[in-house]
Amino acid sequence: MTDKQNKDKNKQNPSIDRRDFLQGLAATPVLGLFGAALIHEQSVKKKLTKAKPKVVPENLEPLNIAVIGSGAQGQVLIDAMLKLPGLHFKAVCDIWTEYNLKRAAGILKRYGHPVNRYIDYRDMLVREQDLDAVVIASPDFWHADHAVACLEAGLHVYCEKEMSNTLEGAHRMVMASRKAGKLLQIGHQRRSNPRYLHCYDKLIREAKLLGRMTSVNGQWNRAVQPDLGWPEKYAIQPDILRKYGFDSMHQFRNWRWFKNLGGGPIVDLGSHQIDIYNWFLKARPKSVLASGGTDYYDPAAHEWYDTVLAIYEYETPAGTVRAFYQTLTSNSSEGYFENFLGDEGTLHISESSNRGGVYREPNAPQWDEWVRLGYLSAPEKAGTQATSAVLDVRETIAPDRHDIPIVFTDPYHMPHLENFFNTVRGLDTLNCPAETGYETAVTVLKVNEAVKAGKQLAFSEQDFLI
Amino acid sequence: MQIKESQKLQTCALVILRILIGWHFLYEGVAKLLKGNWSAAGFLSQSKWILSPVFQWMVSNETVLNLVNQMNIWGLILIGLGLITGTFTRIAAAAGMALIFLYYLCNPPLAGLFYSIPSEGNYLIVNKNVVEMAALFVLIVFPAARNWGIDHILVRMFRRS
Repeated sequence: MTDKQNKDKNKQNPSIDRRDFLQGLAATPVLGLFGAALIHEQSVKKKLTKAKPKVVPENLEPLNIAVIGSGAQGQVLIDAMLKLPGLHFKAVCDIWTEYNLKRAAGILKRYGHPVNRYIDYRDMLVREQDLDAVVIASPDFWHADHAVACLEAGLHVYCEKEMSNTLEGAHRMVMASRKAGKLLQIGHQRRSNPRYLHCYDKLIREAKLLGRMTSVNGQWNRAVQPDLGWPEKYAIQPDILRKYGFDSMHQFRNWRWFKNLGGGPIVDLGSHQIDIYNWFLKARPKSVLASGGTDYYDPAAHEWYDTVLAIYEYETPAGTVRAFYQTLTSNSSEGYFENFLGDEGTLHISESSNRGGVYREPNAPQWDEWVRLGYLSAPEKAGTQATSAVLDVRETIAPDRHDIPIVFTDPYHMPHLENFFNTVRGLDTLNCPAETGYETAVTVLKVNEAVKAGKQLAFSEQDFLI
Repeated sequence: MQIKESQKLQTCALVILRILIGWHFLYEGVAKLLKGNWSAAGFLSQSKWILSPVFQWMVSNETVLNLVNQMNIWGLILIGLGLITGTFTRIAAAAGMALIFLYYLCNPPLAGLFYSIPSEGNYLIVNKNVVEMAALFVLIVFPAARNWGIDHILVRMFRRS
């Protein structure tokens, strides 16, 4: 109808009748549809972003805690704990009184925690009578003695990994925890990392995005680092060093490289990630084959292997999984990560700065539903890069890459410590109890044995049981 | 008879086009409003081509930027409502064209210009903004709401006096 026709019509029939009115409002019901669609959209969004209910800090039972070992790692844990509510620091114990102990006590005092300082842990356990829990970050070879003494004193213990440098030590720790009926959490902190928990609970277990897992690989490559030194005026007296198991100040500072004190890079670094292999595969390895050596550093001051490559074999209900791990200390290429590879997808994850992604194999079922549920971010289309090369028949199309939609910005150890303290309060269960730490110790310490033996070593089910 | 049928279909097509474009505008506005912290700053600051200094100036001045944000949000919502319900349809369509033209001038898809906010397709000179502008032009020159929209009532009320 043209304007002119309209005008004519208006002239003939100038009043608005019912028909005109309805005709005029004909399109307004679309607004109702729009409103309904909007409400639906908002409710979906709300569901996806709903935060996990957190324990209200005001109701938290206050806990009195002490720290044994306030070196570099102890300081990392203290920094993370200072961000947790409901903790009262009572004591710090370290044999390097002029440096580690002074620094830690000073920082704690600044945050309103005047702590008592101790050189000897036995002394601390006798004098501090109102402790609830102890956090241990001493060198590996001290873990068993420290943890057992604390457990026997009736205290809950958070102990850094490696649980112990010997299986005998780790065994004693499990038994002491059971006998005392006290908690023992081992510091494999990825077990409480929300990104790792999301990957395991949602992506691997629930959505089964990887399909049948066939292989795992991971690494921690680190650039060349000089040995740790110390200010000469702060050197510990030789008799104190000897009393606590060190030959020299150099050995005290660089204990990780020495046999009988630590386990070398494979234990310091690999342990964290090989622990994830066991966790995500929900299995224990059947065997390990390893190659390693002190190839780069001076073997006299670096008794443990500076380079290790290891291959595990796992038998899972779905079939065999082969898992590779390498640690280099002379090159930092690609840093550290773990890759889980299945016939339907790949999970690439690292503790480092939210690095990670999930890749769908071209033949796998669509993941749209999981993206809709918020388990994954929408994919970045791969294979769209301009290229003059025609895809070779032997080449598979590059898979789509999805982000893991969990951003984690707290200190790495904070959720694991929080899990421990909340379990002490009866609000949670341990994410890495003594038995789990023991299984990982069995798994990892065997690599050094395999390197020494120069052949594949088998595990028996019995090895993992206590 | 045949002519009448085809006229009906033409009217129907125009009304559908009007409602769809209106929905798009309305949601673009409402979504920005609900976001709470939405700002045009990102879009404006990557502006290229000859009018780039104008858009950069809008970002650099906080008062102007806030004004631009509010005008954009409410402009989108009002234009959307106008088009869906068929109220002041021609004015709404013209305002829509003007608004989209500003988006186009801010980030025109010309050869050699690259934008950090990726587009979901591939465009050269003509992008979806231009197509939507042309569709709004159709709504202006054809009576898209004279029969099926509030304008139908308004026209009659206006004529009565």
